[in-house]
Amino acid sequence: MAAGRGQASVVETEEQQRLRFQCELEFVQCLSNPNYLNFLAQRGYFKDSKFVNYLKYLLYWKEPDYAKYLKYPQCLHFLELLQYEHFRKELVNAQCAKFIDDQQLLHWQHYQRKRIKLLQAQADKVQDAGGEPKQ
Amino acid sequence: MAAPGTKQVLLSLIEDVEIITKELFELMSAKKTETSTEPVADTGQLMELLLKKDAEIQAALKTATEQGEVQKKIEALQVEVDRRDADILQLQKNLKEAETILATAIYQAKQKLTSIKQANQKSIPSEELIKYAHKISSSHAVAAPNTWQPGDPRRPYPTELDMRMGFLGRLNNPNFQSQPGLGADPQLSRQPGQLDHTPSHAASMPWQPPPELSSSISMTTSNQAAMSEVKGLNKENEDVEVMSTDSSSSSSSDESRP
Repeated sequence: MAAGRGQASVVETEEQQRLRFQCELEFVQCLSNPNYLNFLAQRGYFKDSKFVNYLKYLLYWKEPDYAKYLKYPQCLHFLELLQYEHFRKELVNAQCAKFIDDQQLLHWQHYQRKRIKLLQAQADKVQDAGGEPKQ
Repeated sequence: MAAPGTKQVLLSLIEDVEIITKELFELMSAKKTETSTEPVADTGQLMELLLKKDAEIQAALKTATEQGEVQKKIEALQVEVDRRDADILQLQKNLKEAETILATAIYQAKQKLTSIKQANQKSIPSEELIKYAHKISSSHAVAAPNTWQPGDPRRPYPTELDMRMGFLGRLNNPNFQSQPGLGADPQLSRQPGQLDHTPSHAASMPWQPPPELSSSISMTTSNQAAMSEVKGLNKENEDVEVMSTDSSSSSSSDESRP
């Protein structure tokens, strides 16, 4: 991607732009799958500087105009992490990918309950604080 | 002061007078023993000298009193000056305090303005936020469904199946028709658990790909990286059977760790 852009500016037709948009949308969301990340790491894609530049280019999905098309917003977090070389190197290990996967699943499962608990705790605190001065 | 001080003048005059009176007394006492004409003249001279010195003393005393009055005025004025100095110092302190208060106020106001500007730049209508929140929540992309058990193939990320059925996964297929990735594909058999999964995944892509896809697949150089990824994905999807550890064994280990 970066090599292509380094040359004279390529004029894309609207169809090509649409195609590219869909490809990049799907690809960036695939990055939220830690197993896929492990897959890419083991095949050495993360060592290719062009790929690393492409990951940097993909950061445009963080802008709200683009982010609203993302169904799996966790991919943005992984995209940010992937900018660091240490993370890319670590992902070659299957245990690393499994750990991330487990944590992701646990978070996904318990997110709703955690939020409810948090809101409940806050509501209790407010109630206690409101109750004490009245006494 | 160029002239000797009044005090000095007075003291010297007094000494002179003392000397003259001493001489006079000596002369008077000497006159009794000697009978020369000199003492008479000297006495007269000395008397005149004495009178002159006395006049000088009076004059000096007068200047001394005048100077005393002037000195009093000076002191009074000095007191005034000191008072004014104190007033000025007080005003200076007040000015400094006011300046610091205003400076902090301006600084905080500037901060508020920058944050307001920042907020206005990135303002998103609440309607859009709610729609997006609904979209990602209803498809269970960020919060698991309440009935989720280990062994359920649904995941918070696109699974291997999703990737194969999606746009990228079918880009290189020769039988890539004009309706790819819409989830209404009869070719792939799906489990009922994923039925609600894939159509909403495709719904995240708002545009239909054009029917003349084979012509548009003649990529420009800007798409080469994307294509190499897609090729990698497709080739490896065929080679590697299970790339992801979505099996139930990993899920059961999740539940054992609360």
